[in-house]
Amino acid sequence: MLRHIDRSDQGSAEKLSALEADHDSGGALPAAPKRRGSAELSAGKLGVVMNLPTLATLALVLAYPIGYAAYLSFHKVTPAELRRGVFPSVGLGNYQRILSDPLFLLALKNTLVFTAVTVVAELALAIAIALLIGQRQVWTSRVTRFLILLPYAVPPIANGLIWSFMYNFDFGFLNRLLFSAGLISKPVNWIGDPNTALFALTVPYIWRTLPFAVLLVHAALQGINPELFEAASVDGAGPFTRFRHITLPLLVPILVVLLVLRTSFAFVVFEEVLAITQGGPGDATWVAVWYSYKRSFAPPFDIGIGAASAYVLALIIGALALAYVTMIYRRIE
Amino acid sequence: MRQALLTRLALHTANLLVIAFLLLPLAAATIGALQSAKSLQASTRSVLPPEWTLDNFRVILSGGAQKGAIFEQATYLPDNVKKIHYALTNSVLIATTVTLLTLVFSSLSAYTVARLRLRWVIWLMNLNLVARFVPVIVVMIPLYVTFRQLGLLNSVWGVIIALSGFLLPYGVVILAPYFATVPRELEDAARIDGCSRFGAFLRVTLPLSTPALASYGAIVFIVAWNDLLIPLILNNRAEFMTLPVVIASLVSDLFVFHNLMMAICLIALAPSVILVLLLRRFVVEGLSVGAMKG
Repeated sequence: MLRHIDRSDQGSAEKLSALEADHDSGGALPAAPKRRGSAELSAGKLGVVMNLPTLATLALVLAYPIGYAAYLSFHKVTPAELRRGVFPSVGLGNYQRILSDPLFLLALKNTLVFTAVTVVAELALAIAIALLIGQRQVWTSRVTRFLILLPYAVPPIANGLIWSFMYNFDFGFLNRLLFSAGLISKPVNWIGDPNTALFALTVPYIWRTLPFAVLLVHAALQGINPELFEAASVDGAGPFTRFRHITLPLLVPILVVLLVLRTSFAFVVFEEVLAITQGGPGDATWVAVWYSYKRSFAPPFDIGIGAASAYVLALIIGALALAYVTMIYRRIE
Repeated sequence: MRQALLTRLALHTANLLVIAFLLLPLAAATIGALQSAKSLQASTRSVLPPEWTLDNFRVILSGGAQKGAIFEQATYLPDNVKKIHYALTNSVLIATTVTLLTLVFSSLSAYTVARLRLRWVIWLMNLNLVARFVPVIVVMIPLYVTFRQLGLLNSVWGVIIALSGFLLPYGVVILAPYFATVPRELEDAARIDGCSRFGAFLRVTLPLSTPALASYGAIVFIVAWNDLLIPLILNNRAEFMTLPVVIASLVSDLFVFHNLMMAICLIALAPSVILVLLLRRFVVEGLSVGAMKG
C-alpha cells in the first residue's frame, strides 16, 4: 500500500515537477500569492500537528496500557492493594501461578481447539459461499449476497443470547424445529454435555464472523481474469479441475491473510462464552479471555494474575501479527 | 439442457440453505420476542406460538411502567431493564461520539500518511497495522486500574476514550489509501488559489473522499454500538451501562425469561442491522480495504 502511494506521488511529480521539488524541501510555494492569516507550517511540523490527536489517543489507550499491563503482571494487585495504591512486586510469581494452574492450561487448550475448528470451518465455508454468491445464473445468489453481511452487524452478546435461547434444553428453538420436523423424540441437550459444549459454541461464532471471510474471498474472486477459465474450458477442463488448478492457487494469498486474521480474532472469543455457557458445564468451555476476565473482575479479583494471563495470550497473538505484517510486505514487494 | 437445469436447481438449493442459516437466529429471536413466557412454557415442541403479542417490547421500552396483559401477574423485572432508557441514551451517545472523534482524528493522520512523505509517519502507519492485533483484554485490565485512579470508571467518557483508541488504527488503514487516490493536482490548484496545505486538504481532498469516510464511519458506529468488553469492565452502574452490558447482566439472572431477553436483543441489534443494510456497499468496501491493503 505504501508503494501505491509513492506511485501516485510520482505520477503528479512528472506533471508538476516544480511543485514536487517544493514538497520535498517542505517549504511554501515560491510563486504562491499572499496567504490569508499566518505563515504556513512546514510539512514536518504539519505532520506532527495533524498526528497529535491520534498519537495522544494511541499513547493513552494502547502504548501506555501495554506497558502498564506488563508492570501489573509482575505485581500483586488485588482490591486491598488497589485501595492502598501500593502494588508489591512478586517477580515472576503470577506467571508461575498461572502456568501451574490446570484451569489456565485447560483454557489455553480449549482456545486452541475452538480456534482450529472455527478457522478451518470458516475458510471452507467462505470459499463455498463466495463461489455461490458469484453465480449470476440464479437470482437466489443475489438474495444471499444481499443478506450475507447481516450477521456482521449483530452485537456479539445478543448473538450469544439468541443462540443460548436456541440451544435451551426445555424451551429452545432448535429442539422445537427438530420436533416439528419429526427428527427427534426427546430433546437434545446441546450445551449441557461437557464433551460437545465447546463445539456448540463454535456455531454461533462462525455465524457471526463468516461474513467478513466471505467478503474477502468474494472480492478476490472478482479479481480473477475470466479468460483464464475460458481458456481452460477450451482445453477441456471441467469445473472441478478449473477450481483446483486456477481458482484455488489464485486464492492462496487472501486465504493466508484470512487465516492469520481469523486465528488472532478467534483467540480472543469472549461474548459467546459469556452468553451461552459462562465457562460451563463444569469448566468445559473456559477460554483464555474468559480466564483473564474472571480472575480480574470476579472473585478473587486478582488483577496481577489477570494481566499475566492476558499477556501470555498477547504474546501468542503478537507472533501471529508479526507473521501477518511480514506477509503484507512480501505482497507489496 | 438437462444438465443446466440440474445445475440451477443445485445452486438454488445451496442458496436457500445459506439463507436459512443466515436468518435462523433472527427468526428464532423474533418468534421468541413476540410471545409470552406462558406460551413458551406451555408448548415446548411447536415452533410457532398459539398467540402473538407485542407486550415484551411495551414492558421493556416503558421501563416496566406499562405492563401488558401477559405481565399482569409478573412483578419481577431486573433493575437494569427498568432503567433501560439510560442504556439506550448511552449507546447512542457513545457510538455517535466515537464515530465523530475517530473520523476527525484518523482523517488528520491518514492525510499525513498519504501526502507528507515523512519517515516517522510511515512508521506510524506500520504501528497501526500491528495495533489491530492487540487483544482488548490486555489493555482493559491496566485501563481499569488507571481509570479507577483517575475517577473515569462509570462515565461515558472513559468508554469513549478507550473505544476511540481501539478504532483509530483501522481509520488510518482505510482512509490513507483512498486519500492517496485523490489527484494531487487538485490540491495543488487550490494551493495556487491561496489555500494553505491544510485548507486544501479540508476543502478538496476530504469532500472527494466521502465514500471512504462513509465506509469507515459505518464500521466504527457498528463496532462501537456492539462492543461489550470495554463498557462491561469500565461501567457497572445502570446509569452508565450500554445496551450490550444490560444484555450481559441478564445472562446469569435465572428469573428473566427468554421472551423478554429476545425482545431486548432485537432492540439492541436493530440499529446496527438497519445501518448495515442501508450502507451495505460502503461497509463491504471498508472491510475489504481494511483487511487486504492493511
